[in-house]
Amino acid sequence: MVKITFVEHDGQETEVDARPGLSLMKNAVAANVPGVLAECGGNCACGTCRIYFDAEWARLMPAPRESEREMLDYWNEEGEGVRLSCQVPVVEDMAGMVLRLPESQN
Amino acid sequence: MTSQTTIDYAKTDVFTEYAIAADPHGFFEYLRAQGPIVPLGNRNVVAVTGYDEGCAIFRDDENFSAINTVTGPYLPLDYDPHRPMDEQIDSCRAQNGYLASIMSEDTSAHEKSKAILNGIITPARMKANEAYMYEVADQIIDEFIDKGRFNVVTDFGQPFAQLVIAELIGVPEEDRVSVRGMAADPNQMPGNLGGGFDMSANPLARMGMQFYGYVLDRRANPRDDVLTRLCQQTYDDGSLPPPEAVVAVATFLFGAGQDTTVQLFAAMLRLLADNPGLEDRLRAEPALIPDFVDEALRIEGVTKSTFRYVRNRVTIGGFTFEPGQHVMLNIAAMNRDPAKYEAPNAFNLDRKNVRTHVAFGRGLHACAGGPLARAEGRVAVERLLARLKNIRFDEGRHGPANARQFQYLPNYSLYGVIEQWMEFDRV
Ligand code: HEM
Ligand code: FES
Repeated sequence: MVKITFVEHDGQETEVDARPGLSLMKNAVAANVPGVLAECGGNCACGTCRIYFDAEWARLMPAPRESEREMLDYWNEEGEGVRLSCQVPVVEDMAGMVLRLPESQN
Repeated sequence: MTSQTTIDYAKTDVFTEYAIAADPHGFFEYLRAQGPIVPLGNRNVVAVTGYDEGCAIFRDDENFSAINTVTGPYLPLDYDPHRPMDEQIDSCRAQNGYLASIMSEDTSAHEKSKAILNGIITPARMKANEAYMYEVADQIIDEFIDKGRFNVVTDFGQPFAQLVIAELIGVPEEDRVSVRGMAADPNQMPGNLGGGFDMSANPLARMGMQFYGYVLDRRANPRDDVLTRLCQQTYDDGSLPPPEAVVAVATFLFGAGQDTTVQLFAAMLRLLADNPGLEDRLRAEPALIPDFVDEALRIEGVTKSTFRYVRNRVTIGGFTFEPGQHVMLNIAAMNRDPAKYEAPNAFNLDRKNVRTHVAFGRGLHACAGGPLARAEGRVAVERLLARLKNIRFDEGRHGPANARQFQYLPNYSLYGVIEQWMEFDRV
């Protein structure tokens, strides 16, 4: 299990014991993190699972596919520090990672 | 047929009773009065009407299997508490081909099918297909505009949904004629009252062989279409899915989006006809059309009920589910939960939280076609309102305002009408 903290826009924190191999989104949903809506259940088709983080963590994540970049673009999100949590699998080295959530996912 | 007579819900079987299929909300309010999660007392079914409770079940794919999504309680599985649950579910699925579609798969098999669909139908990509949708909508409207009346189901909804999905997926031009007019018999759809339906009678389900040919062709000759993208998707380990796996997903995609979308159009036209002034407001403020589509999905959505099968004992919302129970997730009731929506039975274009409805489900099995259905709904309303006005029911067919008559789908999963005749004036 890998400890990852999700921080809501209002500061409320949920510490999740994440299972490696599963996506960040699946782990967040299983732990009832309120700010990860994930309307499309991980099809990379809704963009309501956005997470923000310090750019240093990006190296633990696979490069976004074109469809994910399009989806982020659709929500006017840019830069290194934002991803769709359904497209990022958890790895052991993510222990201690802090993820921030948008004010509203939709 | 009308449903004016009062029904004794305690003695009525929702899985066989047409009167409930025709007017499900009385039944859902009867359930809700007893609590957000209540056992039905027959067929080992537990019914959910609460929004939060239903969402928690949608999200929990470890304790709830999707094996019964298309059969509900008519699942051919007699639970034996002395055998491992997984083994029973797997052997049931292996023996019944129609339980092996993406919608009924669980965990790792489902994850593989989802990998094929990942990023395929997105709002951005639907935007790119918009020009075609406008063109098709106008062509279909041309076919009936001189008549002053049309049947929403067959004259507009079916051809529009079919041609759009065929173009999007990449069904070759020469095969489109045979696609048009292909519709499931309303008495043979999954969720049919009484549990009997014949998938082999469903023309959409018979398209597998044709799709197999398309998939092999796209692997050899890539094009700019959804089929090619489906063919190029890889599993998480980087491997290429076998053609059969792509065919299964593509065929399901093709069929899944038809009856549902057709009923969305029908629902929107009923709302337009029933709410004087709505047409004008949407013409004046077209930016409200997406909210109109979502409010129609919330209040009149076609996906009335879906199902999950309890794998493990688990407590949700204070209710303890036992292995082998069928959970009836009443989406249409969750969408009218007063704890979630103010004045839930009223149509309200200005609802702030309208997009939170669960007409497309939620969690890992949530609808993969949501962005397409929303785009089709918006384009349909834009073009219909641009060309037709004073849209009203054909009262010769459907009776006057206080005594409307429709023939409804004889179905416990889907809510909708078999035909819906509207009259209009030209703009
Ligand atoms: C108004 C139109 C539509 C509605 C209301 C609707 C509703 C739904 C719902 C409620 C589910 C989830 C069922 C469950 O969890 O038990 C679902 C699944 C699905 N829908 Fe739709 N749908 C619509 C249109 C479409 C379209 C246009 C497509 C294809 C282009 C489509 C493809 C799918 C697929 C592939 C699934 C299975 C996803 C999975 O199991 O992972 N749907 N739909
Ligand atoms: S859950 Fe929809 S894009 Fe991630």
